[in-house]
Amino acid sequence: MGLVFTKLFSSLFGNKEARILVLGLDNAGKTTILYRMQMGEVVSTIPTIGFNVETVQYNNIKFQVWDLGGQTSIRPYWRCYFPNTQAIIYVVDSSDTDRLVIAKEEFHAILEEEELKGAVVLVYANKQDLPGALDDATITEALELHKIKNRQWAIYKTSAIKGEGIFEGLDWLSNTLKAGGG
Amino acid sequence: MFSLFYGLWKYMFSKTEFHVLILGIDKAGKTTLLEKLKTLYSNLEGLPPDRIVPTVGLNIGRIEASNTKLIFWDLGGQMGLRTIWEKYYEEAHAIVYVIDASCPSRFEDSKSALEKVLRHGDLEGAPLLILANKQDLAGAVSSDELARYLDLKELDERPYMFEAVSAYDGSGIKDSIDWLVDAMGRSKRTETLRIRAGVNGLASA
Repeated sequence: MGLVFTKLFSSLFGNKEARILVLGLDNAGKTTILYRMQMGEVVSTIPTIGFNVETVQYNNIKFQVWDLGGQTSIRPYWRCYFPNTQAIIYVVDSSDTDRLVIAKEEFHAILEEEELKGAVVLVYANKQDLPGALDDATITEALELHKIKNRQWAIYKTSAIKGEGIFEGLDWLSNTLKAGGG
Repeated sequence: MFSLFYGLWKYMFSKTEFHVLILGIDKAGKTTLLEKLKTLYSNLEGLPPDRIVPTVGLNIGRIEASNTKLIFWDLGGQMGLRTIWEKYYEEAHAIVYVIDASCPSRFEDSKSALEKVLRHGDLEGAPLLILANKQDLAGAVSSDELARYLDLKELDERPYMFEAVSAYDGSGIKDSIDWLVDAMGRSKRTETLRIRAGVNGLASA
């Protein structure tokens, strides 16, 4: 009975929960983005070996955000975290043009995963504060986002350092998840 | 062997799924239309118009109308993002082109973007539904006026229709979708896409 009321309450007041994975190559800015979301400030980070997880409350959604280390040797462990994921935030260093091809390959490998079939995709074209950073249209081309035809996606230009674009992306994410996603 | 028959059976009896592209320049009301379609034709409540943000990517809506499955692809309309439109052409059965009928200053931009769409070979024969949107606003031009203004050439090779709608209050949408489903059902392009999909389906079976 209590459970029924809890469910009714949360559906009335919209306290939805969502599990989000933040993925991307090493040094893309995943951890800085995570703490920007959670605390609204820049923290100095070290390369993540393993993961960081934080809860972020935004637009009536409780996001459980998992930031997984991006180095080549630990990318195979990403898949341990795939089940029950509603959304993927894929972070790209927009100034690291040399590694865009690798970023693209890792990205499409993730999309192939059966356990992530239902997850919506938010791309952060990060590090827009750096000179030579490519814009959202160019990153869209480079990542071949147009190959995605059976799930919703969006791309935002972000600067984790300046705090730009991140919450615009979360607005999209919360709207999409509330509308049923997928 | 079984899978061969199964593939054939699927090819002959499965309900056709139609892919419909929603295109138009930014601020035309594409996503508002998509959300209205979800509200009108599915059991999902679409987002209210005041919650909609500019699309920078792809929104998807799956609905069923007149016993037909429709999958709508709503693509962002800002200048830099229009380059991805053509990547979705090949698999699209039809196009819905949305124009803000209350904003004549952007008709020229709409017209040239539409002409570019129509010139593309991957969309050969695809039925085209042009929506004079935002009829709820004062000063919105009628669908006839819009048709005169656009003065499109090369429309004869494809079924097309102008409709006056309001994605905001939903007026005109039902008639539009009825026409669209009918046009796709008759279109030669549908047959072409079906054969292509069927052949691929059989080959992989």
